[in-house]
Amino acid sequence: MLASVSIRRLTKQFGPNRVLKGIDLEIPPGRLVVLLGPSGCGKTTLLRTIAGISDPTDGGIWLGERRIDDVPPEKRNFGLVFQTYALFPHLTVARNVSFGLEMRRVGKAEMARRVAAALELVGLGEYAERLPRQLSGGQQQRVALARAIVIEPDVLLFDEPLSNLDAKLRDSLREDLRALQQKLGITSIYVTHDQSEAMALGDEIVVMKDGEIVERGAPIELYRRPTYRFTAEFLGMTNVVEAEIDAGSCRLPWGDVRPLENPDARNVEGVAIRPEDLLIEPVESGGHGTIEQSMFMGAATHYWINAAGRTFRSIASGGGSAILPKGQQVRLVPPGRLHLLQRHVAASGSAA
Amino acid sequence: MERKVRTSTLLLCLLPGVGYLLVLFGLPLARVVYGSFTSTAPDETGLGLSTWQALFANPVYMDGLWFSLWLGIAPTLLSLAISLPLSALMQANEGSQKLFGTLYKIPLVVPGIVAGFLVLIVLDRGGMASRLATPLGLSIPRLVRDDLGLGAIIASAWKTVPFMTLIIAGAMAAISKDVLAAARTLGATQLTILWRIQLPLAQPGITAAILLSFIGSLGSYVIPSLLGPAYPLPLSVHMFAEGFQKGNWPMVYAMGTLLSIMAVAVLLAYYAIIGSLGRSKPGAA
Amino acid sequence: MAKGHTARGQRLVGLALYGYLALTLFFPVAIVALWAFYDPAVGWFPPDIIPRSFSISAWQEVLADRHILPAAGISLMVSIIVTAATGALAFPTAWALAQFPFRLKRMVEVFVLAPIIVPGIVVAVSLGELFFRFGLAGTIAGVIIVQIVGTLPFMIRILTATLEGIPNELIYAARTLGASPFVAVTRIALPLAWPGFAAGGLLTFIASFEEFEKSFMVGAPKVRTLATQLWSYLGGEALVLPTAAVVTFILLVPMLLIFVLAERLSKDDVMAAGLGKL
Repeated sequence: MLASVSIRRLTKQFGPNRVLKGIDLEIPPGRLVVLLGPSGCGKTTLLRTIAGISDPTDGGIWLGERRIDDVPPEKRNFGLVFQTYALFPHLTVARNVSFGLEMRRVGKAEMARRVAAALELVGLGEYAERLPRQLSGGQQQRVALARAIVIEPDVLLFDEPLSNLDAKLRDSLREDLRALQQKLGITSIYVTHDQSEAMALGDEIVVMKDGEIVERGAPIELYRRPTYRFTAEFLGMTNVVEAEIDAGSCRLPWGDVRPLENPDARNVEGVAIRPEDLLIEPVESGGHGTIEQSMFMGAATHYWINAAGRTFRSIASGGGSAILPKGQQVRLVPPGRLHLLQRHVAASGSAA
Repeated sequence: MERKVRTSTLLLCLLPGVGYLLVLFGLPLARVVYGSFTSTAPDETGLGLSTWQALFANPVYMDGLWFSLWLGIAPTLLSLAISLPLSALMQANEGSQKLFGTLYKIPLVVPGIVAGFLVLIVLDRGGMASRLATPLGLSIPRLVRDDLGLGAIIASAWKTVPFMTLIIAGAMAAISKDVLAAARTLGATQLTILWRIQLPLAQPGITAAILLSFIGSLGSYVIPSLLGPAYPLPLSVHMFAEGFQKGNWPMVYAMGTLLSIMAVAVLLAYYAIIGSLGRSKPGAA
Repeated sequence: MAKGHTARGQRLVGLALYGYLALTLFFPVAIVALWAFYDPAVGWFPPDIIPRSFSISAWQEVLADRHILPAAGISLMVSIIVTAATGALAFPTAWALAQFPFRLKRMVEVFVLAPIIVPGIVVAVSLGELFFRFGLAGTIAGVIIVQIVGTLPFMIRILTATLEGIPNELIYAARTLGASPFVAVTRIALPLAWPGFAAGGLLTFIASFEEFEKSFMVGAPKVRTLATQLWSYLGGEALVLPTAAVVTFILLVPMLLIFVLAERLSKDDVMAAGLGKL
């Protein structure tokens, strides 16, 4: 069943702490929406409230037309994948996966069929009789995934599922997760603090801070044209430069002038220039600044440039050219149009 | 990576604790077992089975043996029936855990005699329970000096419940909260979670608690003396009588050895269930 | 619209838990209090639920009993010595079990367990007669020695569980910084083992204070602890209820105070870990 999830005015309070401050959110059916934010922003609390493990203080949750916030978690038919895998240590892989089906009183034959299919889907068909402690972290997480999808949930909830895995494993599992979700088409909500994971996986990213939603949008939109400074700095790296605005154009500190994409923006906090968009050219003399530091990262080289009394970051991709030395004078080449960032004012009044 | 340790250091470290127990427990215990094969009969010097024969041939002692077993098992089962739900409920309630966590342990601190005393004043004829029940038209059955030793069982269980709960609740608390949350989202009710997840994962704690409590109740002297029936008397009471009144120490040793054998048998059964002989850490999940 | 089902559930659970306590603890203790303060001259017979009149004569009688205060003193002294000695004897053994791998470890673990497997009364009997021969029967030293046999296994197990939680790296780090093995253990591991000492020490003190079978077997009739003294009021020829109630109070109240205060410091998980597997 393709169901949408609606959240209205969801609030969660722990004593004096307001962890969620009146969240309004629509999750379209069949999409993978990522909740992204720093620790303490409330993303995990929001997920757990949607799952029913935590009770909201105020507000409501709807699955399609049906209101579910009074429904206990065992009746919500949501699949939950945990950071810690949360496999039942005393049950085999097969019994772990079949657990949800047992609770739904599925017949033995059908249960065996569905369990086998789910394990095949995650590539662990051979491991049915193993115990969790005999599996690696990545394998355990796959079992957790199989366990969550075998019950054919209305919604899949992911609570930082890749955080406990090492980098290479994380990458490969990330691809598999994405493929699986798209194949099955289950509405999914995914929590992470890792922005590259968010961009790789999400159909849409919801950026959160201090219990509120800052902004939401497709990854490419949020990356290239973030509304708020907070988003720009959280998603990837960026240079935030003071903007001298004059009639739809912006004057950069080292002298260049460029037109603005969004000249009507309010509460301006500066202009965002992504390091990969800020090119540098070595010059003999008359440059904007000098190279302070360089770091060779393989596919790209990062530079820190001292110009106009500040440090700017630039990324030069491609392995061909030589690395520019410290002290080298350079000319900065900004992109053709510039994007203004706004200051996010929290509903509670504090600025982002 | 563990560094090798010098044997001399190892022995030196083990000496205080293990040495103490060897000299003041192991040797005397060996003496008890040995002594059970001696006899007070003047014509019997050296080792023989006459004391053991006398023990097993005596119906009073055999009844005492069964009664000792009963007084070991019944309180353990009663405590388990109370302690399991108590431990489960304690996991469910976050809020009052600190205060309740202290209060429920109080019977641990209370001597067995006092426990017996409490049962006496509440549950005996003329005790508070019957005084409260009479106006309501109810009557309390005989619980002190009754044939089944119910009062003694209740008193033993009263003391054992906090001990079991401490161990079992501790074992349950060690279960990751995520695992319990996962079970809930998969559709399990609280009762199913208790039965399918919490109890299996709280092993071997539960079995250890059962074992320790059985052994404690098996050899108890004070509570059966105070609250139990005049007949049968458990072996522990007979032991005191044989020793202090009749001076028949070999019989005391035989009874003691028998009680020990029963306890060890239960321990071995535990190891068989858990399968941990030879492994340092029994397979805790 | 505060959500109900978890909050409601929590309230019910709280009710059940405190209901249990009320029935099994508050109710009996309240009745002991009534027995300790009723007027023996008037008596307190069924069907009266509350005594008709109160008096403190039972207290006067008990405090006048020349055995009570010395018994209390002896109990206290014995328990303190037993706790200290048990801690000192247990620590090196627990250290060896926690940190050293060695072949017979399992056997040692099972042997250490044995004094709690074998019923206490058998332990008491085994030492009772032996002490009689060596002249230790009826002495405080004898009572102390026999009690330690019962408390040592628990302390060793609890300390072992605590020490296992201390990473080896800490000791290695201390060694690389120049500490000898002895210093590394006493300056680093020992302080970190504090929760184990607190939990185990508390358990030992209490077990010793309320211990009956061994103390009776070895100590009576010359050495009177509070527990064995209570026995003379309850198990002797005549059951003297008011006096028993008063002595119960004397036994209980300071113990409860120590217990509740010290509970703040001790750690449950350590105790459960030490006792939860055999």
